[in-house]
Amino acid sequence: MVDVTRRDDALAQSEEFLLDAPEASAKALSRRRGPRDINAMSPGWKALVLIGLVVWLVLTAFPIYWTLVTAFKTPPAVNGGPTYLPWVDFEPSLQAWIDIFAGIRGQFDRTITNSTLVSLTASVIAIVIGSMAAYALARYPYRVSIWAGVIFVAIALGGYLIGFEYFGMSRAGALFGAGAIALVVAILLNLLPLPGPILGNNDIVFWFVSQRMFPPVVVAFALFLMYTEVGRAGFTLIDTFWGLTFCYVAFSLPIVIWLMRDFFAALPVEVEEAAMVDNVPQWRIFLQIVVPMAAPGLAATFMITLAFLWNEFLFALFLTNSDWQTLPILVAGQNSQRGDEWWAVAAAALISIVPMIIMAIILSRLMRSGLLSGASK
Amino acid sequence: MSTVAAIGSVRDRDPMKHVFIWPALAVVLVTVMFPLIYSLTISFMSFRLVPPRPPRFVGIDNYADLLTQARFWSVVGTTMTIAFLSVAIQYIIGFAIALALHAKMPGSAFFRVIFLMPMLLAPVAVALIARMVFNPTMGPLNEVMTYFGFPNLPYLTDATWALGTIIAVEVWMWTPFVILLMLAGLATLPEDIYEAANLEGASKWRQFWDITFPMLLPISAAVVFIRLIESFKVMDTVFVMTGGGPGIATETLTLFAYQEGFKKFNLGYTSSLSFLMLIVVTVIGILYVSLLRPQIQKRQ
Repeated sequence: MVDVTRRDDALAQSEEFLLDAPEASAKALSRRRGPRDINAMSPGWKALVLIGLVVWLVLTAFPIYWTLVTAFKTPPAVNGGPTYLPWVDFEPSLQAWIDIFAGIRGQFDRTITNSTLVSLTASVIAIVIGSMAAYALARYPYRVSIWAGVIFVAIALGGYLIGFEYFGMSRAGALFGAGAIALVVAILLNLLPLPGPILGNNDIVFWFVSQRMFPPVVVAFALFLMYTEVGRAGFTLIDTFWGLTFCYVAFSLPIVIWLMRDFFAALPVEVEEAAMVDNVPQWRIFLQIVVPMAAPGLAATFMITLAFLWNEFLFALFLTNSDWQTLPILVAGQNSQRGDEWWAVAAAALISIVPMIIMAIILSRLMRSGLLSGASK
Repeated sequence: MSTVAAIGSVRDRDPMKHVFIWPALAVVLVTVMFPLIYSLTISFMSFRLVPPRPPRFVGIDNYADLLTQARFWSVVGTTMTIAFLSVAIQYIIGFAIALALHAKMPGSAFFRVIFLMPMLLAPVAVALIARMVFNPTMGPLNEVMTYFGFPNLPYLTDATWALGTIIAVEVWMWTPFVILLMLAGLATLPEDIYEAANLEGASKWRQFWDITFPMLLPISAAVVFIRLIESFKVMDTVFVMTGGGPGIATETLTLFAYQEGFKKFNLGYTSSLSFLMLIVVTVIGILYVSLLRPQIQKRQ
């Protein structure tokens, strides 16, 4: 009896597949065409577009130009009112840069190394495990019973309160104990055919993205507490490389999953299906077929993640203090030390900008070469 | 046919599906579970770090106190104004610029690099630069404006102007995000539909509303959603530029949470504030998704 219904299901699925396949491949083909050429625009529209672009260009570039010239000003040239052109309005000076390289303004060499190490490592890890999850969410069906989720929260919360209040466990210990039990119970429960609504892939993606809805101030403080307690148990996480990297991985995973799922879903599924007929194992399909096809999307997502992490401020503020301080903290610190010393702020901001501008150039090269077309859909 | 049929069930039962998803799930669970559960429990307590007193259970007092406070509602209003206005402007400008850059034209590579830059700067640095530019005596903006005969404007010290300035800075910083993703979306549109529309003599205006806009609705929905979520948490810009002032005119939810938690060390209060914010953002998110999903499905 069971076998028969299963076969019916399978038949229905195969019919669906056969019906969908030609349409899907046609879609995939038509997407390969080059970008739309709208040179056929009327002259009036063309002028409007160009004016709009130039206006936005001025708005975008002026503050950056302003930062650039301010970094070469002397204090009088800043405080005496706005000056615009070097050698015309003011005599450029290298004082801000001399201060920075002499180490008067904080240890730039070390924070740059820290920022580079942490943001690169965290981006790589987030991209690897994030795109694995994104691929799974794009291709495999998942079913989570809503009751498994509710029970998970109930056991984790209740167990934490009981462990912390009555058994005198540490906060982190109580929570991880309760969390582990809750997870096992929830996974086992989910194997049973529970009644009630079933959460699918879209809901799981929404859950991942919703992790970014909570105010970061509270998350950062709670993480600081958790790291402190784990530190008492013998694993120092505060102000360490792995402490900051781990939290950055978790912090960027929602965005990686959200973007990469769209990129993977856009790939034609037939190639993978053909490989599956030949009994190629799933992990090899992923590594040798899917990842190369999604390379442009991976590159774009990697760069967005890297930019976010390079600029991250709040978590770095809470979770590091001296050894692993990152660049944004040092940039922000330029302001509060002795009032508004804008030449120093500008120079520090420029130092943190340069690597990102190199990235912007690489990103736009990739986009222009058409590597990134076919992305995000 | 039986092999094809087998594929569907192989995908469903393949153990690899768990191997693929669990690393990410585990990392997010471990990092997120503690902050959420910890702050949920202390949101029902009176918990101050300075002076250090043992936490005391107060039930829903924190929540009730917040909901009856005029400052809370003013902060909610400010946050919503900043989030909705700035995201709407970002989307309109960003989409328009993406459309313009999508056309083949000389110098578009140059435009793309410059246009991406604001997004790649640290928000703290952007806020500091903005403070320079908008400064009433040392900043260039007021000098240029007075040169053209406008009065010297209190960009950061007048309630309405300060709110407008913050929105402008948010738009400046995050429009590139919209441009980048809308460009990627535009690149996926099939050319032949436009050829057919051209043959039928449809105007560019009609083509945009009947083809481009509906086909980009899914990616638009995703971009706007992410920007809304992130805008609700806006803090560094406001903190550096106005500090929430004048008075509390530009105070946002996260800044309010920060002031209560780390100026007054009132952690229970801050946690309940965060949960109220989570509820607000989740409700907006669910409303948004349920309003848009039928639209997206209808048009596809």
